[in-house]
Amino acid sequence: MSRTCLGAAAIYIGIAWLTAGCAEPDRAAWDHPASEADTVGSDTAPAPPALTATLEPGGLRTVQAAPVELWTGPGGRPFEVAVRTSERDAGHPRRFGAVTLQTAVRSRSLGQYPCTSCHLGRRVVMAGERIADAHQNIEPVHPKQTGALCSTCHAADDVERLALLSGERATLDETYRLCGQCHFAQADGWAHGAHGKRLDGWQGRRVVMGCADCHDPHKPALTPRIPFRAPRIERTRGPDR
Amino acid sequence: MSIDPTTEMPNAAAAGTVLQKPVDRRLALKILAGGVVAGTQALGACAPLSAATDEERQVRLLAWQEYIKGNYRFMTEEERGETIARLERLAKLQRGEEVAIQSTGAQPGVVFGYAFNISKCKGYRRCVEACINENNLDRSAATQYIRIFEMEDGVVDLDHADATFQHEVPAEGHFYLGTQCFQCADPPCVKVCPVGATWQEPDGITVIDYDWCIGCRYCVAACPYWARRFNWSAPQVPAEEVNPNQHYLGNRARKTGVVEKCTFCIHRTRQGRLPACAEACPTGARVFGNLLDADSEIRWVLANKRVFRLKEDLKTEPRFWYFTD
Repeated sequence: MSRTCLGAAAIYIGIAWLTAGCAEPDRAAWDHPASEADTVGSDTAPAPPALTATLEPGGLRTVQAAPVELWTGPGGRPFEVAVRTSERDAGHPRRFGAVTLQTAVRSRSLGQYPCTSCHLGRRVVMAGERIADAHQNIEPVHPKQTGALCSTCHAADDVERLALLSGERATLDETYRLCGQCHFAQADGWAHGAHGKRLDGWQGRRVVMGCADCHDPHKPALTPRIPFRAPRIERTRGPDR
Repeated sequence: MSIDPTTEMPNAAAAGTVLQKPVDRRLALKILAGGVVAGTQALGACAPLSAATDEERQVRLLAWQEYIKGNYRFMTEEERGETIARLERLAKLQRGEEVAIQSTGAQPGVVFGYAFNISKCKGYRRCVEACINENNLDRSAATQYIRIFEMEDGVVDLDHADATFQHEVPAEGHFYLGTQCFQCADPPCVKVCPVGATWQEPDGITVIDYDWCIGCRYCVAACPYWARRFNWSAPQVPAEEVNPNQHYLGNRARKTGVVEKCTFCIHRTRQGRLPACAEACPTGARVFGNLLDADSEIRWVLANKRVFRLKEDLKTEPRFWYFTD
């Protein structure tokens, strides 16, 4: 059932993409009037990297494998993540290098995914700090803290891709590649299992949640909650405790 | 008392062959029971039949057979199968529960370890909730295996920590530290047990045979981490909330007067799954894995993070580490 729907969706996206090819410039102009548009990186080739990417992009490669069903939906691909060795570990004969893991599929659980259902072209004109009316649910706390613009993380030439500082593109499921550019210590811990939640089991394939599965990328801090009920009895306190 | 005469029970003829083996206390009791059964059968032949239904008779017989069984640790595979069949039948007859009790053994080359990230834990107690549901914990006494301590930043002081907090978490200037059974490598609770009802399995999990425990609570007193719980009354779990996936040494139904504790969800972890607490944790603060696997997450945490254990000076060697980011 779900596979049929998925197939239909894929065909629809394909058709939408093909038909959008000729109408693309008009559509983009209609979405974002040129007077308001900030044209950074929208028409030209991606700018050269401003910073060195800490998670070596060349080491990140996708290994082809049969799709697996996860609780977040169908999909899921095993990745080999090349993890940067931190300086304090240099010289120690520790096990580093490629770690094999799978991330949970996030994109399909997004409310407005696929992006091409509204954005008929893949190219988007990003207007500085202004958030389009269709995305008013976004609270740009993190971009404001860091002084980032939409185009710092989102690829202007591909609406469904993330822009890495190296000029490479990452999918919406590969948020660790984007976040790990600054939060490299967390990315290091995440790749090895000290940060982030593991799904499935302790044995066999390692399926972990990506950064944006827990942290809203635009507002990453977790919100306080009321805890589950407290124990009824206080623990025993002996004279020596 | 009347007993179905078709069921096999040790009788005087069988006792002769049994007596060739050394007779222990349980065996002697069994032989004695055989005599009692023979007597009651003879009695039943002349006395009018009692009003007990077939089901009641079956329950009595099963309960009696359960009463005279041995320690799980020394049972053969066949005996384990028999007692599990009886327990499953009793759960159906007495409480109307369809349960499946495992006797899955430890995987070779596996010793379980746990790491708890005190930087990540936010005190949501989702682990506690999952534990209660997974392990069929007593709802009437509100038993909880896991305790989350709220402490002020800067010191690990369990004496002045608050385990009964009930406010919006995380609280400003506080951190959270969870305790449960640490599955010590040198467990004091096992040393003090006078009847051998609790022992350490090859994969490092300390387990209890609830049918061998006499309820003396020496182990509760011996545990330096407040990890063991005593059943002062019969545990109450609504039939619709019972987790049917059970293990003989884990979350099967307990009774009055026996001790229970966390078993790292023995029925899940021996099948490669995560313990319920680790699976439920929304922050990823709980890391679980095989200590003997050099590529496991837990080994990376132990090698690369600053870790500590509670009350290390007692040399109980807990297999439960705390670490910070």
